[in-house]
Amino acid sequence: MTDNRVPIQEGLFVEESGKAYLLGNKCKKCGLTAFQKTPVCPTCQVPDTMEDAKFEGKGTLDSFSIVQAALPGFARPSIQAYVNLENGPKIWTLITGCEPTEDSLQLGMEMEMVIDKVRTDEEGNELISYQFKPAGK
Amino acid sequence: MREVSIIGVGMTRFGKFEDRDMKDLGREATWKALEDSGVAIKDIDVAYVANAVGQQLTELKGTIGQHVLTSAGMFGTPIINVENACSGGSTALRGAYMEVASGNADVALALGVEKLFCGDSAKSAQTMAAGTVYAKFGFMFVALYAMQLKKWMAASGATKEHFAKVAAKNKYNGSLNPYAQFQKAMSVEQILESRVVAEPLTQFMCSTMADGAAAAIVCSKEIASKFKQKQPISIAACELVSGTYNVPGQEHEEITTRAAKKAYEKAGVGPEDIQVVEVHDAMSPAELRMYEELLLCKPGEAGMMIDEGHTALDGRIPVNPSGGLAAKGHPISATGLAQIYEVVTQLRGEAGERQVKNNPQIGLTENAGGWTMDDNAACAVTILKK
Repeated sequence: MTDNRVPIQEGLFVEESGKAYLLGNKCKKCGLTAFQKTPVCPTCQVPDTMEDAKFEGKGTLDSFSIVQAALPGFARPSIQAYVNLENGPKIWTLITGCEPTEDSLQLGMEMEMVIDKVRTDEEGNELISYQFKPAGK
Repeated sequence: MREVSIIGVGMTRFGKFEDRDMKDLGREATWKALEDSGVAIKDIDVAYVANAVGQQLTELKGTIGQHVLTSAGMFGTPIINVENACSGGSTALRGAYMEVASGNADVALALGVEKLFCGDSAKSAQTMAAGTVYAKFGFMFVALYAMQLKKWMAASGATKEHFAKVAAKNKYNGSLNPYAQFQKAMSVEQILESRVVAEPLTQFMCSTMADGAAAAIVCSKEIASKFKQKQPISIAACELVSGTYNVPGQEHEEITTRAAKKAYEKAGVGPEDIQVVEVHDAMSPAELRMYEELLLCKPGEAGMMIDEGHTALDGRIPVNPSGGLAAKGHPISATGLAQIYEVVTQLRGEAGERQVKNNPQIGLTENAGGWTMDDNAACAVTILKK
C-alpha cells in the first residue's frame, strides 16, 4: 500500500490554503460559466471570449442517482449527481459523505465540495477528485 | 432532390455470439438485405458503414467498412465509415439517403455492425463509458437515465409502475421477435421485483451488451420497380441533429423534439399521422418520455398512453413492436438500422406474430447517442411512408 494521492485528472481543481476550488472558465462577453473548461462559449460561438475562473465548492443538489452497478475497479454503490454551483454552472459529480440511501439526499439541499478518493488504481495510487457532500456534515 | 425508397432490409439476430466476428455479422445482414431487395452487390454505388467500438474491442483497427464488406464480396465501391455512438446506424442511413437524393448514386447500402462481447466484459463496459469526459470517475449512463427519469416522473406524474408496464410490453413484443436477444415475456411484477440498478430502474428495464448487424438498401424512387418483388418504402425524412448547450435557467428544447420537429416538417406530416414507432430506449422507461418528446401525446399523458394500451401491438400507435433496445438487444451502431428494419417490416405487413394491427402507412424511428456537455451528442429521427 502507498499513500500516494494523485488527481484523477489534472486541471480540474486546486487546493489553496486549505480550501478547494474548481477550475473552470467564464465568457467575458455574456458571463456564461463552464466546468469542465470549454475553449469557445457555446452561447456566443466566437473565439477568444473565455477566461479562466475559479468556482467555490458550494451549490445545491440538482439531481442524484444511487447506482448499484459499477465499472470494473470502482466501488458500488456510488452516488452520481448534478450540482448547481453558486456563481457557476451545473456540474456532474460524485457524492460522498452520506449513506447511499434515497432519503439521505433531498433535491435542492445545500452541498459543499470535498477532495476525496474515487478509487485506488492498479499501481496502488489513490486517485482523488472533487466530490460533493451535504453541507455541514 | 430525388425521392428515395428503401427496397431491402436485413439483420442478424442480436445477442452474444462469441464465435462470430464483425465480418461474419456484417456479411449476414448485408446479404439478407440484398436478397430482400433483389439488388446484386456489384450494383451498389456507395456504402455507409457504422461502427462505434470495433477499433477498441476487435482485431479491426480502422477502415472497418472495407474489412467487413470485402468479406461480403464488395470491391471497388466507395465506402464511408461512420461513427456516431448509438446513432451510428441512422447516420449511415442518412448518408446513403443523401447520396441517392442528390443524384450522386442510384443504389446505396447502409450497414451498422457491432461486436461488444470480446471475451472481457470489463473491457467492453469501460469502452462503452469512454465516450464521456467523466468515464474516469466511474460515470454510468444508467445513473444519467435514472436522474432524468426521476425529474421527469415529478413533472409528468408517471410512476414506477408505468415504467414496469412499458418494460413488460416490450418484453412481450421481444418474445415474438425471432431476432431479439431476449425472447421471454415478463410480468409487471417480475420487472418491479428484479434487482434495482439505479432507482427507479430495475434490471429488466435496462438494455445490456449485444453483438449484431443490420442493413438497408436504398435507391431512387423511379428505379425502385427495376428490382424485385417487395413494395418500396419511401424515406419521407431522415433528420440528424447534435446536442445543444444546456444553460442553467434557460429553456432547453429536448434533442429528440428538435430532431422530430425537423423530420415532421421535412416529411410534411404531423405526429398525429404516425402509426408505428421505434424509439431508442436503452432503458425501457425512456420510451415514455419519448411519447411526449416526439409529440405523440401531450405533456403529462405518457402514463395514460401505456395504461390504456395505445402503444401496444394492437393499440392505435404501437411503439417498439420489435421489443425495443432492452428486449431486442442494443449492439450500438446496429440499433438504428434495426429500427429501420422493424418499421419497414411492419409497414409491409410482414412482421408475423408481432405484426401491429392498425395497418400502418407511416412510421417513425428515433435513435439518440452519446453524451457531451449535458446533452445527447446526436439524435436522428426518420419518417418512412408506405
